[in-house]
Amino acid sequence: MHPYANDADSDAIDGLTIENGTDRLSLYGSLTLTRDQAGLARARQLLALLQQAVAVLEAAPLPEQIAERPATKVANPFG
Amino acid sequence: MQISHVALFALLTTALAPALAAETACPQHYAGSTSPDLLRPSLQQGARELCFSAFGVVHSAVSRTPLWSAELLTPARVARAARLERKDTFHAEDRLPEAERAELEDYRASGYDRGHLSPNHDMPDTTAQRESFSLANMVPQAPWANRGQWADLEEAVRKRVKAGRSLHVISGPLFEGSELAQLDGRVLVPSAMFKLVCDLQARQLVAFVLSNELRPAVTPRYETVTLAALEQRLGMALLPGVPQAGTFGKLVLPGVTTAP
Repeated sequence: MHPYANDADSDAIDGLTIENGTDRLSLYGSLTLTRDQAGLARARQLLALLQQAVAVLEAAPLPEQIAERPATKVANPFG
Repeated sequence: MQISHVALFALLTTALAPALAAETACPQHYAGSTSPDLLRPSLQQGARELCFSAFGVVHSAVSRTPLWSAELLTPARVARAARLERKDTFHAEDRLPEAERAELEDYRASGYDRGHLSPNHDMPDTTAQRESFSLANMVPQAPWANRGQWADLEEAVRKRVKAGRSLHVISGPLFEGSELAQLDGRVLVPSAMFKLVCDLQARQLVAFVLSNELRPAVTPRYETVTLAALEQRLGMALLPGVPQAGTFGKLVLPGVTTAP
């Protein structure tokens, strides 16, 4: 996954879900880094992802807070 | 419900009481081999059935969301699902006309998650998993729900299946209230979400409703509702192929915290 490159990728490390977006990278769920080979592999995977994310974030000027596109209110067509 | 039948259904409902039994092209996903009926006429407009390998959907061109997604979870299926790597891509549904479907752009920077109705973690193979990432299986869902209670409920359902029960699950949005939020001027945001879990063999079921408020002051909990109450709120018959579903006992799912 290339952080912030698209609005489509979904990946997982253990129980941690990673969803890519051009405006945000979302990580949620839970991840256990066991003190074994599998734990090390997962830790490296997470670290690589975060390093890539930081590199993208540092590469260009950032707003203090990204603007959301707020939902509009419409009459309920099913009402 | 076959696609051709949807159009026919919409035509007929002006003349007939909307109590026609729906026909489905994928009866294997539905309890009693019968898909839910859209009884409220406003739901029938622009509704199309989409059959996927591991779940069945009816999609609405009005909301640009599914109205439900239904699946049959068996112990064998859930065991296969547990072994699958979870790596995939969200995508617009290419079987739907562009004028009817949601696009990835609609959800971008909205603050809402793309919430699976039939969950990724229920999918037994890579084909089904890819299909589950179709926006025809997604609604805009509040992140606290998608990542919290909703995910916990999905896990509680799988746990029950792993313990040896086959369960029919129907998940979908509720669109209640005079006004609704809309993303990008196109995709309707559900006011709440429902999940109906039915154990045909034990003759038990349970229906949950969870708020979809984007930023609630206090994190909401599930309410459990009767089948009849949920059907009334939805304007649908959810289990038309199951005789006496209204008399089923209550299915208990350990680990799901409900409102008192």
